[in-house]
Amino acid sequence: MTPEQELQLAVTRRHFFGKSAMGIGGAALASLLGGRLEASPGLAGIPHFPPKAKRVILLHQSGGPSQIDLFDYKPALKKLQGAELPASVRMGQRITGMTSGQSTLPVASSMFDFKQHGESGTWASNLVPHTAKIVDDIALIRTMHTEAINHDPAITFFQSGSQQPGRPSMGAWVSYGLGSENDNLPAFVVLVSQAHALNTDQPLFSRLWGSGFLPSSHQGVKFRAGADPVLFLSDAPGISKGTRRSMLDSIGKLNQIKYESYGDPEIETRIAQYEMAYRMQTSVPDLMDLSKEPESTFEMYGPESRKPGSYAANCLLARRLAERGVRFVQLYHRGWDQHNDLPRDLALQCKGTDQPTAALITDLKQRGLLDDTLVVWGGEFGRTVYCQGRLTEVNYGRDHHPRNFCMWLAGGGVKRGVVVGETDDFSYNVTNDPVHVHDLQATILHCLGVDHKQLTYKFQGRHFRLTDVHGELVKQVLA
Amino acid sequence: MLKFIAPLGLAFASFALAKPVDFDREVRPILSDHCFQCHGPDQAKRMAGLRLDTRDGAFAVRGTAPVIVAGKSGESRLYQRVSHAKTTMRMPPPTSGMNLTEAQIDTIKRWIDEGATWRTHWAYTAPVRPAEPVVKTKAWVRNPIDSFVLARLEREGLKPSPEAPKTTLIRRAAFDLTGLPPTREEVDAFLKDKSPDAYEKLVDRLLASPHYGERMAMQWLDLARYADTHGYHIDSHRDMWPWRDWVIRSFNNNLPFDQFTVWQLAGDLLPNPTRDQKIATGFNRNHMINFEGGAIPEEYQNEYMVDRIETTSNVWMSTTLGCAKCHDHKYDPIAQRDFYRFGAFFNNIPEKGLDGQTGNAEPFLLLPDDKQEKRLAELKAAVAERNEKLPDELVWALTTEWRKTKFDIVPQSPTAGLSAWYELDGNLSDTSGHFRNGRILKGEPVFNNGPVRRWPELDTSIQLQFPADAVALEKPFSMAFWFRVGRQPGITLMQKQDAASNFEIGLSKPMSLPGLKRGHDVEIRWTAGNGSLLVHTDGYPALQNELNHVVVESDGTGKAAGLHFYLNGKLLQLVTVKDALGQAAANSGPVAVGSVKLPMRGRIDDVRFYERTLAAEEAAQLALEYPVQVLLNTPGKRKGEQIELLEDYYLRHDASPELRTAYTELKTLVKEEGELVAAIPTTMVMEEKTDEPRDTYVLGRGDYTNRKEKVTPGVPAMLPPLPVGQPANRLALAKWLVDPSHPLTARVTVNRYWQMYFGYGLVKTSEDFGSQGEPPVNQELLDWLATEFIRTGWDVKATQRLILTSAAYRQSSKVTPALHERDPENRLLARGPRFRLPAEMVRDNALAVSGLLSAKTGGPSVLPYQPSGIWEELAFGEGFSAQEYVQGHGEDVYRRSMYTFWKRTVPPASLNTFDAPDREKCTSRRAVTNTPLQALVTLNDPTYIEAARNLAERVLEPAKVADDERLKTAFETVTARAPSKGELQVLRSTLKDQRAVYAGDAKAANELLHVGESPLPASVDAPTLAAWTNVCTVLLNLDEAITKE
Repeated sequence: MTPEQELQLAVTRRHFFGKSAMGIGGAALASLLGGRLEASPGLAGIPHFPPKAKRVILLHQSGGPSQIDLFDYKPALKKLQGAELPASVRMGQRITGMTSGQSTLPVASSMFDFKQHGESGTWASNLVPHTAKIVDDIALIRTMHTEAINHDPAITFFQSGSQQPGRPSMGAWVSYGLGSENDNLPAFVVLVSQAHALNTDQPLFSRLWGSGFLPSSHQGVKFRAGADPVLFLSDAPGISKGTRRSMLDSIGKLNQIKYESYGDPEIETRIAQYEMAYRMQTSVPDLMDLSKEPESTFEMYGPESRKPGSYAANCLLARRLAERGVRFVQLYHRGWDQHNDLPRDLALQCKGTDQPTAALITDLKQRGLLDDTLVVWGGEFGRTVYCQGRLTEVNYGRDHHPRNFCMWLAGGGVKRGVVVGETDDFSYNVTNDPVHVHDLQATILHCLGVDHKQLTYKFQGRHFRLTDVHGELVKQVLA
Repeated sequence: MLKFIAPLGLAFASFALAKPVDFDREVRPILSDHCFQCHGPDQAKRMAGLRLDTRDGAFAVRGTAPVIVAGKSGESRLYQRVSHAKTTMRMPPPTSGMNLTEAQIDTIKRWIDEGATWRTHWAYTAPVRPAEPVVKTKAWVRNPIDSFVLARLEREGLKPSPEAPKTTLIRRAAFDLTGLPPTREEVDAFLKDKSPDAYEKLVDRLLASPHYGERMAMQWLDLARYADTHGYHIDSHRDMWPWRDWVIRSFNNNLPFDQFTVWQLAGDLLPNPTRDQKIATGFNRNHMINFEGGAIPEEYQNEYMVDRIETTSNVWMSTTLGCAKCHDHKYDPIAQRDFYRFGAFFNNIPEKGLDGQTGNAEPFLLLPDDKQEKRLAELKAAVAERNEKLPDELVWALTTEWRKTKFDIVPQSPTAGLSAWYELDGNLSDTSGHFRNGRILKGEPVFNNGPVRRWPELDTSIQLQFPADAVALEKPFSMAFWFRVGRQPGITLMQKQDAASNFEIGLSKPMSLPGLKRGHDVEIRWTAGNGSLLVHTDGYPALQNELNHVVVESDGTGKAAGLHFYLNGKLLQLVTVKDALGQAAANSGPVAVGSVKLPMRGRIDDVRFYERTLAAEEAAQLALEYPVQVLLNTPGKRKGEQIELLEDYYLRHDASPELRTAYTELKTLVKEEGELVAAIPTTMVMEEKTDEPRDTYVLGRGDYTNRKEKVTPGVPAMLPPLPVGQPANRLALAKWLVDPSHPLTARVTVNRYWQMYFGYGLVKTSEDFGSQGEPPVNQELLDWLATEFIRTGWDVKATQRLILTSAAYRQSSKVTPALHERDPENRLLARGPRFRLPAEMVRDNALAVSGLLSAKTGGPSVLPYQPSGIWEELAFGEGFSAQEYVQGHGEDVYRRSMYTFWKRTVPPASLNTFDAPDREKCTSRRAVTNTPLQALVTLNDPTYIEAARNLAERVLEPAKVADDERLKTAFETVTARAPSKGELQVLRSTLKDQRAVYAGDAKAANELLHVGESPLPASVDAPTLAAWTNVCTVLLNLDEAITKE
């Protein structure tokens, strides 16, 4: 590591949010204790070029939503219902241990009705009536593809650019490169919601918002529903706000005495961090408190938006985080793994998420925030055209499918009302304009004004980056 | 950017200008970082055939022009190109983002002009013991370390700091060697000891402490990626704590590092290995293990090998072999083939690609204690004895004979009062003779072999229904049926609903049970008008994925007492939650399987409705005898499970008394043996596969499906060769690593010790000694320490003692602005180390000063306080261990943090906040961050509130002591030093403020004091204790409290 990088690191590792660079003098400290800190600047030289988006909201649908039942309309499959998937389509492609033992791989066409929507004429199924209304605001990519065929490696790949654990997550990279825009909230916030489907089995892992080899201050901070949105945010029972303030004053005074006699700037930083913690005790509950939202907000996001911890409530929080300039907001919604009972469970998932997802876009747009907020929707892979388990007239399941799936982007830096890529009649192979996960990652960074090849961190002798040694911009979606 | 360079640049600039350009320190890093990617070891990506990582390449003559002409930069193509005025000719190309700075170009120029001295990369040549340098301030030197440190300081024109006060020294040394703060008594004793070697005696005492092994293990656990779960997708539990115990023991026994190495890498290959030598091999089983449904075994078996390569090469050699997984190394002379040859050492283990569902993955070692070992032997003998009486052939012959005589048996089951009977053998017809046939409302069920002939497989697309008059709820009735369900939430099994009332037999939410089972309580839910009744079983007896036969009967009263429930023929007690139905009203609804809204997933069989209650024998008959009789009576080939069922029935009921006795005893013994084996701890180990050795291949782009050339075990060519005359296996590898001629092992190891004490290693990149790593800040010192480590026979304790007793270590860590600007990271050591404590020590310190800490060492991991839901909101959730956080109590809450249960996908929350890694991969260096989330932990985590309260109790315990004395005691307990006047003044006013807060608010005081599970003193003045608790919280939150100073 070069001296510049080392020192840059020495500065950034103290950044959680806000600046706390080395050498804050005693005089500065007074203002620090009483006032606010400037927002963290991120790395020198970044953004590399003027950004279109200042922040990202990533709506991760964990488990792999079925592209065939949502956005990748394949009318020709109706006639092939129950027929064996042709070898010429599968082309020896590996399949998971869950269906590799199946004696037959019958084609299951979608049970759901598709229509074209908006001026763009984008196809969408009747499972997503609200998303259908915003198709002219989004760029739909039908040809996403990934390298992994099981959840753990696929979701890890999507979030960190590597199937195996150990690399920083996308949000951590963004926090590291761009820093924070808010003095009182972390740069990278994570919100988790539980499945609507009745069969639920995909776990999440804290590595998905981890900092890997980056300093751990860049890891995502999970905001949870309930009394303590951030771990240990609330004061202990029996400690009032005033008591806490006077205790903090004592801690601050004693630390100040220590600093004056000892000189270690780390002590100053600690004093500042205690003050930030105190401010978080106000800023976070203020963020999480939806009571001042008007009735119309809840109507827009749907009835579940009143239920803390739900996907709908998290979408609403995402907007509030965007308003406060939080750099990277990542939602995870569990339950998209429809190996069986797809018609029932996919419908439940969509019922719980479609309205708030669309509401978020509409809401951001109404507030003028969509212009500089990039919203990304999608899962870690798609689902197979062939049925897992028994295929009947009313029921089917689908296995994991990495070769093509759908995601959409909206907002800052992204074209509106476009559809990218084509797949074959089976929604099994990309026939036109493939978009690799690394391509999408490069594109997300690009919208933020970051050249994915230039945002690197040296670890174990290598200059690592989110996109490994790959990644091409998806020009078709860029405005 | 420039202002950032200034401090460190200054620190080294004077040195650089005074001496010729140092190739290792100044030139190779430039070439490596900016040139090797295209002109380095990777053959496939080498441009223009030029390589700059070897002397031959760098001094080659290309065409007419040599790359480097020693002494003549102007004639050297290298310099011409890097300094070329035309950007199109300039190297590296501007588009690469690798541009050189003017200073770097100048360095290359000066190096060439000074003669272009080329040396093999320092780390690949064995260390030569340097002579102790001569220094000016000889009096400062306590041991050779100091000569090396001081020589460097003197060259830089710096002076060492004075020795730290004794109070600082004891606290620093205690944390460094035991991870714990000194007690007040220990501090007093040390202060009183005026002998000249008082400090050395202190170090020796700390080295002899059982907590020394724990402290040393902490670093090793990070390197060994130790955890209590498998990681990856499901992340259920494993037991590697016996290996952790061995690590602690080894450090405490001062096992020499060469043996520590050999045992861990190849203990199983030593002649007649001891149990400890086998346990030690768990080092390379600590990696993650996967069993995600649908994953491909080969893919993960390859990942395990890859992890062992990366970890082993990092831990012992600080070499990034992992970079050669997909292609030749970009910077160091490591071919892709070398990566897989190194992997071949670790690729012949009798392991499975997907394993670990029920705990440890094969191969693992059983670790019975003496008593268990004895009982196990007895049981094995007893079981063998019974088995002799029941030889397979005999039992088979007798059972077959018995089956023949019983084939015409008429299955007996209660038929009196049967109002409807659905055998479900392919259809829903009623065989009771009442023609109350059921109907398939939706879907097409498939019928497979079930407990009684066939049974339907139900998914949510299928709805079954029986007619309303099959059951009259207002009269006595019984409902009997078999069912089996898989993993699922609570559901309804059977429902009879009309507009006014609803009767349901359902399953509660599932609960995890011992032995990785999962069960439901059966619930009977009954509502009619405003009345309701709810009863359920206790202990979750209805197991998932197993056959359950239930009988629910009602005496017609509609009272809880009138309901009975049998599971698998046994009457179970019901828990009454609500008993206010009023009366059993008539209900005109049909009987549905599942609920119409929520269809059932699973299987169901032999559904019977009686218009009476059943006798206990009748319930047993339905569950136990009847299915066997049906089976005997049904012609056809028997399958495994059915044969077992028949055999079991025969040996229990119809065989000779001798056989029946032997069989009953056998069953009991086998059960006890199973329970005993389950109670014996195990630990995963390395073994060599003897049947069909596994071949290792070079994998194209690292892809497990892309096998290329087959390879045998071997080591990279830039390092010494493996010992000859013995098989190239793990044992040879281990011995090779600890051969004194190995250039890396000793250096890498002492460098990590240095890092532990001074925050940074002499090579800061303690994970990378390659050409991209930092050159050592003081190579002579590193080499001297490495050779000394070998000379002392790899004596680990002696090496710690050497470092801790140096004058360099004993310096004060006070920082002056000038010194900070000059050397912000204190790499030159003109002062002592000052760093925030590692995560474990932050918590252990609070527990220790409060007197709560348990001194127990070793054993299984524990689950202390953690906010609820942290695991559950992310975890897979059902059917596996370590999915739900069940907090421990008592001593478990106060164990040292290194024993906290480490779940990889959700690492311990409070420790993680203080930079503890998730242990998915080998960690060589932890970040030391300083964040507001850390403040929230030490201010509000119940662990710290409780510690503060207990510390306050200790301070208040002696009677009749002045407040000032108490404040001093508290301060000294936390910091090991007396407070200054100013500090005492702040503490006084803090106490005054806090007293005022609680004086009139006993309620708030009591709330605060009830945080944590430790009991309150018998008589307590709540407002006083609460005020002191907050004073102690202030103390535990001081920067100094969580800092090694």
